[in-house]
Amino acid sequence: MFKNHLKIAWRSLLKNKVFSVINIIGLCIGLCAAMIIGAIVYYDLSFDTFHNDKNRIYRVSSVITFGEDRFTNRGAALPLMQVLRDNAPEVELVVPTLNAYIQMVENHRTNAKFKNPTDVIFTDDTYFQLLKYPWLAGDQKTALSRPGQIVLTKEMAKKYFPNAQMQQILGQNLVYNDSIPLTVSGIVSRFTEKSDFTFKEFISLSSAQLFGKENVAYSSNWNDTSSDNQIFVKLKERGNKASLQSRLNALAAEHKNKADWATNFERSFKLQPLADFRFGAQLDVPPPGSVPYRSDVKVLMALGFVALFLLLLGCANFINLNSAQALTRAKDIGIRKTLGSSKKQVIQQFYYETLILTTIAALLSLLIAPLLLNQFQDQLPVGITMGVLYKWQGLLGIVALIFMVSLISGLYPAWVLSGFNPVSVLKGQMVKGTKGTRLRKGLTVFQFVVAQVFIIATLVVGKQLYFIMHKDMGFKTENIAYVHIPRPNNTPQVKKERLFGALKDIEGLSNISYGRATPASTNYWTTMLGHFDEQKEMFQDTQMLIGDLNYTKTYDIPLIAGRERLNDSIKEFVANEALVKALGYENPTDIIGTNLKYDTVNIQVVGVIANFNQHSLHSTIKPMVLTGDWSSNRYSNFTSVHFDLGDDSHQWSTSIKAIEKAWASIYPEEELEIHYMDNTIKGFYQKERRTVKLLQWATALAIIISCLGLLGLVIHGTERKTKEISIRKVLGASLAQLNMLLCKEFVLLVGIAFVIAVPLTWYGLNDWLQNFAFKTHLSWWVFISGGLGMLIIALMVVSIRTLSAARANPIKSLRTE
Amino acid sequence: MLLELKNIFKWVNSGSQRIFLLKDINLSVEEGEFISVMGPSGSGKSTLLNVIGMLDQFDEGEYYFFDESVHKLKERHRSNLYKEYIGFVFQAYHLLDDLTVYENLEMPLLYKKYKGAERKAMVADMLDRFNIVGKKDLFPAQLSGGQQQLVGVARALISKPKLILADEPTGNLNSKQGEEIMDLFKQLNEEGVTIIQVTHSEKNAAYGSRIINLLDGRMVK
Repeated sequence: MFKNHLKIAWRSLLKNKVFSVINIIGLCIGLCAAMIIGAIVYYDLSFDTFHNDKNRIYRVSSVITFGEDRFTNRGAALPLMQVLRDNAPEVELVVPTLNAYIQMVENHRTNAKFKNPTDVIFTDDTYFQLLKYPWLAGDQKTALSRPGQIVLTKEMAKKYFPNAQMQQILGQNLVYNDSIPLTVSGIVSRFTEKSDFTFKEFISLSSAQLFGKENVAYSSNWNDTSSDNQIFVKLKERGNKASLQSRLNALAAEHKNKADWATNFERSFKLQPLADFRFGAQLDVPPPGSVPYRSDVKVLMALGFVALFLLLLGCANFINLNSAQALTRAKDIGIRKTLGSSKKQVIQQFYYETLILTTIAALLSLLIAPLLLNQFQDQLPVGITMGVLYKWQGLLGIVALIFMVSLISGLYPAWVLSGFNPVSVLKGQMVKGTKGTRLRKGLTVFQFVVAQVFIIATLVVGKQLYFIMHKDMGFKTENIAYVHIPRPNNTPQVKKERLFGALKDIEGLSNISYGRATPASTNYWTTMLGHFDEQKEMFQDTQMLIGDLNYTKTYDIPLIAGRERLNDSIKEFVANEALVKALGYENPTDIIGTNLKYDTVNIQVVGVIANFNQHSLHSTIKPMVLTGDWSSNRYSNFTSVHFDLGDDSHQWSTSIKAIEKAWASIYPEEELEIHYMDNTIKGFYQKERRTVKLLQWATALAIIISCLGLLGLVIHGTERKTKEISIRKVLGASLAQLNMLLCKEFVLLVGIAFVIAVPLTWYGLNDWLQNFAFKTHLSWWVFISGGLGMLIIALMVVSIRTLSAARANPIKSLRTE
Repeated sequence: MLLELKNIFKWVNSGSQRIFLLKDINLSVEEGEFISVMGPSGSGKSTLLNVIGMLDQFDEGEYYFFDESVHKLKERHRSNLYKEYIGFVFQAYHLLDDLTVYENLEMPLLYKKYKGAERKAMVADMLDRFNIVGKKDLFPAQLSGGQQQLVGVARALISKPKLILADEPTGNLNSKQGEEIMDLFKQLNEEGVTIIQVTHSEKNAAYGSRIINLLDGRMVK
C-alpha cells in the first residue's frame, strides 16, 4: 500500500508540473530559512555545554542604577573575591579573571617580538579547577600560584617558541611589556568544543602588581566596576544560589558608594548562570571572553519569525493550490471510493503526496541553504556552517520539519478532497467548488499581509537608515580622517610631535589637531562634575571630550559664546549647549566664568560650543565639556591626530602617500591605519544596515512565494472560467475588460491585506523607531507605496495568465464543452 | 436471497416541494439473477443502482443485504460490505488515468489488503482471462473505449464479488464493442455472478433474466 501511495503520489506530481514546481519553490524557500535559522540557533546554543558541574557555575555581575538610568556590567568589584573566599561557606570556588592589556611579548632567546597579544588574563589556580582544560605540560595545581608565572595555550606556546617540544617550553622565560619576565609554568590546549572562554594566556594573579595593578587579595576598591574584572563562582550545591545571592545583596548594601554625588546611585550583584553567558539573558552582559560578535536573543527571535513566516507562506501556497485543484482530482477520488477506499486511505494518499513534495523541497534546501547562508556571513559569527544539518541532530530536525510542514500543508486539502461524495462526483454533478474558497481567500490575504508588512518595513527602516546616515551631526564629517598614535610605552612623546609636524608639512592636509576620541564615537567617557547652585552643590554626569585648540576648527564646531581655551594644557572647560541647559542657565553667556568641580579641582568654563551628536543618533545630545591635555606626559590624553583631507578627492591619494611616508619614517614598526570620519559614523549603524539587508531578503522571498501562489490560483481560476471568458468574448468583451474581470478579485484581496498590514506595520515600526533619539517620519507615502507596489506586482503576475486566457480563441473552448 | 429492498423512498427537497427520486421500491434479488433496469432518463435507474451499491443513501425503507440491515449500518460497515461483495462498472469506465491497466486492476486488491504475491497472481489471472496481458503496461488513454470497458469489468470482477452493478456499461461503446461486453456479462452470469445493469437498450436488456421498468422513481410492471 505504502509503495503504491508513493508511486501514485509521484505520478500526480509529475502530471501537475506547474503546481508542483510552485509548491516546491515555496516550501523550499521556507525550509531554507528554517534550516539557516536552525543552524544559527544550534550554533549559539551549543556553547559551553560541556563543562563539568556546569549547573553550579555562576558569574557575579553588577547592576547599577543611577537615577533613572540602569547599567549592567559583566564585571564586579574585586574585593568580593577575598570576602567570598573567607566568608561564604556555600561557595566551593571563587575565580577572578582580570583582562590584561599587553603591548609586547619578547622571547629573548630567539629575539622574536610579538605585539598586542589578545585574550590575556590574570587569574589563579582556581581557574583551572573551575574549567577543566586538557593539560599538555606543567602542574595544574600550582602553575599559577607564584608571581611571575604564566600558562599558555598550545597555539600561543607554538607561536612564542616555534619548533620546541611542549616539555621544553616549560620553565622558559618570556618578557612582557618590555621589562616583566614571566616563566612558562604550564601549557594547556584550548577546548575542542565551542566555548566563550576564549582566553589564550593566563598570568598568575599575584603578578598583577608587576603590571601596575593593585593586589587583588587586599583590594578595598568596592566602587570600581569594570568589565575587565570578572568573578566566577562555583557553588557547593546548586540549591545554594539563593543564600549566596542574599549574601551578595548584603555586601552590596554594606559597601554602597557613600560619596556626595552617589545618593541616587545603586549597585547590586547578580548571579548569572553559565547557561546565560552566551546571550546575556536579562542582565544583557557580554560573554566572558572577547567575542567579536554578540549573539542577541532578539536578533535570533527576529530571524526565527522571518523563517516562520516564510515557511507559513509556503504552506499557505500549498493549501491554496491543492484545495483549489480538488475539483480536477474529484473523479479520481470518487473512483477510489467505489473501489473500496476508505476516507482514511484517501487522506493518507494525499498526505504522502505532500510528504514527497516537502522532501524534495527539503533536499533542494540542503543544497541552497549554504549559498543563502553566504549572503549573511558578514552578520553572523564566524564558524557558523550548515554542517550541523548533516549531524544526527540536524537530520532529526529536518525530518521533524518535513513531517510538520507536510502535516500543516497537507492535511486540510486531503480532508477536503476525501470528503467528496463519490456518486455526485462521478455523475459530474456538484462541483461548484465553493468549498474552501473562503479559506483560500483568507490564506491569500495572509500572504499579502506578510509580504506588505515586509515591504513597508523595508522602506521605513531604509528611510530611517538614510536619515541617520545623512543627518547633520552638528560637525564636519566629510573629508575628515584621523590616526591613532601608538601607545606611549614604547614610543616616546617626541615621536608624536614629529608626526604632527610632518602632517602639517603635507600640502593637501589642513586643520591638523590633537585629540582623543572623535566628536561622535562609541566611546563613553563621562565624569561627575560638581556645580554650586545657590549654595547647594549639585552633580552633573558630563561627557569628556579631549582636543587641542585646533580641534573645533578641524571638525567645524562653532563657538557660540565666550572664548577658546588659552592653550592646550590649561585647565579650562568649553561647555556645550546641553550642559548650559542641564545646569539651569538660560543663555550660553551665563555659564561663562562659572567653576565646575572636577575631582577636587575647580575648573572654569570659558566658552560654549554648539551642540553636536556625540554618539549614534540612537542617543540624545548629552551635556559635555571640551578640554585639553593636562595630564602627565607619559599618559597623554592626546592619543590621536585629526586632519582635513580637503575637498579635492583627487588630491587624497597623494596626501595619503605622504602620510604613509611620514609614518614609516617615524614609526617604522607600527602599522598605519587611517580612519575616516564618515566611515566611523557608518560603523555606528551596522546593526541597522544588517536589519535592512535581512528585510530586503525577507521581502524578496515573501514576494516570490506569494506571487507564485497567486500565479497558481490564477491559473486554476482562469481554467475554470474558460467557458465564461469565451462566451463573454463572443459577446464582444474587450481584452482589457476580460482582464479586469479576472483581476478584480485579486485586487480586492490585496486591498484587504493592505488594510490589515498598515496598522500592524505602523505599530511595529513606531516601536522600532523609539530606539532612536532622532527619527524619520512615518510618512503616509511609505505605506501607500508599499501597498501600491504589492498591487502592481500582483497585477503583473495575474496578468501573465489572464491575458493569455483572454486572448485564447473562444471557439476552441466552446466546442469542447 | 442476495438482497431485498422494502418500501424504499428517496427524495430531495426543492423549495417547498418534495421531489421523489425513488418511490416505494420493493425488490428482492436472488443469487445468480441477471437483472436489467430500464426506464427513460430521470426515472431513477442510476439512483436505484447507487442505493443498491450503497454509494447513496435513501430516506425511508429497509434494505437487507445477505440479511444485514444496511439501513442500520454505520458508514464504515457499509463500505466494508460493498468492498467485499459488490463490483461496479461505469458507463464512462472511470479508470484511474494515472495508473496502468495492471495497476488499475490491482487497486481494489490493495484496498482489501491482499498480500503482494496474491495480488500478482490474481491480476495475472484476470489479464489472462480477458486477453489483455499485452496491454498491462498501457495507460487508459492509450486504449480504445471497448478495451477500457473491458478493463473496467475486469477490475470490477477481480475481487470476486457476488454482485456486479453496471450503469449503462455499453453506453459509450459502439455496437460491436457493446455486444462483446454483454456477451461477457452473460458468461459471468452463467458462472454464478449476480448482475444488475441499467440500460436504455431493449437488446441489451434482453440478455437479462428479469427486467425492471422504472418511471418517475416508481417500479412499473
